[in-house]
Amino acid sequence: MNEQSLDPRINRLQLGEAGPLTIAEGENWNTYEVFHQEKRGAHHEHVGCVRAPGPELALVFAKEQFARRKKCVNLWVVRSADILAFDIADEDMFENNADKTYRDASGFKVMEKINKFKKGGIK
Amino acid sequence: MYGGGYIYEEPNQRAGMPAATQEDPEMLAAFEARIARGEKIEPRDWMPTLYRKQLIRMIEQHAHSEIMGALPEGTWITRAPGFKRKLALIAKVQDEIGHGQLLYNAAETLGKSREAMINDLISGKAKYSNVFNYPAVTWADVTVIGFLIDAAAIVNQVANSKGSYGPYCRALERICFEESFHLKQGHDAFIDLATGTPLQRRMLQEALNRWWQPIIHFFGPPDKDSQHTEKLMQWKVKMASNDDMRNQFLDQYVPKIWELGLTLPDPELRKDSASGKWLFGDPDWDLFHKVINGQGPCNQERLRVRQWAEFQGRWVREALMQPTEQWTAPAA
Amino acid sequence: MQTLSPALRQLIIAMGDDALILGHRNSEWTGLGPVMEEDIAFSSMAQDKIGHAWALYRVLHEHGGPDPDAFAFLRLAEKYTCCHLVEQPIGEYDFSLMRHFLFDHAEALRYEALADSSFVPLQQLARKIKGELKYHTLHANAWIIQLAQAGEEGKARMQAALEETLPLALGIFEPLAQEAELIASGVYCGEAALQQRWWESLQPILAKAGLALPATGDLEPAYGGRSGWHTQYLAPLLDEMGAVFRLDPEATW
Repeated sequence: MNEQSLDPRINRLQLGEAGPLTIAEGENWNTYEVFHQEKRGAHHEHVGCVRAPGPELALVFAKEQFARRKKCVNLWVVRSADILAFDIADEDMFENNADKTYRDASGFKVMEKINKFKKGGIK
Repeated sequence: MYGGGYIYEEPNQRAGMPAATQEDPEMLAAFEARIARGEKIEPRDWMPTLYRKQLIRMIEQHAHSEIMGALPEGTWITRAPGFKRKLALIAKVQDEIGHGQLLYNAAETLGKSREAMINDLISGKAKYSNVFNYPAVTWADVTVIGFLIDAAAIVNQVANSKGSYGPYCRALERICFEESFHLKQGHDAFIDLATGTPLQRRMLQEALNRWWQPIIHFFGPPDKDSQHTEKLMQWKVKMASNDDMRNQFLDQYVPKIWELGLTLPDPELRKDSASGKWLFGDPDWDLFHKVINGQGPCNQERLRVRQWAEFQGRWVREALMQPTEQWTAPAA
Repeated sequence: MQTLSPALRQLIIAMGDDALILGHRNSEWTGLGPVMEEDIAFSSMAQDKIGHAWALYRVLHEHGGPDPDAFAFLRLAEKYTCCHLVEQPIGEYDFSLMRHFLFDHAEALRYEALADSSFVPLQQLARKIKGELKYHTLHANAWIIQLAQAGEEGKARMQAALEETLPLALGIFEPLAQEAELIASGVYCGEAALQQRWWESLQPILAKAGLALPATGDLEPAYGGRSGWHTQYLAPLLDEMGAVFRLDPEATW
């Protein structure tokens, strides 16, 4: 491409003719999950991931991609490969059984008893 | 910047797509029921092949649009007038790259690697938003892009952020947050020109004239020409029709342009009071198709610049490659 | 309003011009970086640099100097006192990274010295941007060490970039005409002392990277920038930078 671009930056790049270019799999390195802590005392929350050649640069990259606008006091990164999760088909394991009300505040009807007591006293 | 409202499909691929009805009916029913309940689909859920394919296509085109969209604006970084504009423009272009990064990650959760997507982009196979194949001739073009293209993108992305695919929605949530800041910044620069010197006003009017047609093209061809949208809307892949989004954009932004005494180069543009819909002249859909197929004024240059960037960065990436490591898709 | 001594003005302008021109150069990578994540990181640091220049020009402005935008965008090349290092085109990424590494180490030490400056505005600025500069050097060190250790091409490129960049980087410490006055009044420690600290701070990182540092005696420092002598690269950069601003310097852009 020989014509001049309208853009000085492009002209400076001296684009020339491109040879064939194929990006190899893995050329953008591996995936690291990023966990972001908004303030001291808060949980580290998953916010996304970065591609990096190792944990050190993953952290360097995560800082700018995930903390440049959002308030942040700390970040964790971990290789995505090291994340262990339940199979999505096992979601039914998490369903709460209706009769396990003892795990729930609604299972304890204290106010009813108090009100009944206030009305009628102990029999 | 740009959302995936208009999903370009190769005409010959349409025939090859599996019909939704070829899927396991029980799985399909459960999948559709989940979406109907307003639940999100997550990466490792079962999903119809057509759903996966369309999402990859949509998110990928959106990601490409972000990093190609960084080019017409990026070339004005070195010429931005004054500290405030210079810093804001660098930060904005940086955000577009950041959006690309988030979107490639979201697409990767569906099984296509970032490298494969970039290869499709630099070989000219993949599509991205047409607007980025037009030149930013003056500084005023950057302000028109910053205000109106970003505004159009927000209309589109806010709609899509309520879609059914979890990772895409999460990426869009953050993107919309940043876009609202871009819009403000774009509007501010636009207003400075519109209320500035005669030279500034003239620059702005000329840029508006250049960009109006690409902006009308932005949301894609009229609904009557789009196929397959019904299923995609039921699956909450596509959240609003091209015409509806275009109308919403016109409704919100044409008054903001007219109130500044600026004109738009379409004598037929007006709001029909009976239907509440905007009417406009034929925006030359043949040109739209020509540009999307590589014959726009800047397609070649944009592609060559992207290839240059990939080529320049290659030794850096290769030096730190770990060939023995297995690539892992993002977790969510 | 207190006016600044010529010596202090000279220091602030030199620092501001270095930061502006290097920030401008580094922003040329925005959108074109080797990988998206690094594009974002490098772009942030370019913004930081331009922000530092703006802050420094504002200090001038607050002491009777010109409007910061006009000062940055309208001067003639010979009125800039940046060093030659920052004027160079971006080259390939090895050059840009090495320039960033050498410059930001110098910058971090300069502001560290200024954190105790007798001149309060510089002292405040130094404290404000300490964290930014810490990130910049962390980023630079990580890249230099990793690329220099990443096989033959990486090592050869980084060694060549170091050798090309070092004489230019010594120009950062070109003595200022009246710096004795600044040293005496406790503004900062002077260029020679900074260069010494810088040279020492590079050693452990370059050693870890496995890069060979030539002896300073063998290097011809690229001086001249501080007195307005520049390479052929500065004037076109300034033409481009001011192209829109100069259309109407009185207008609000």
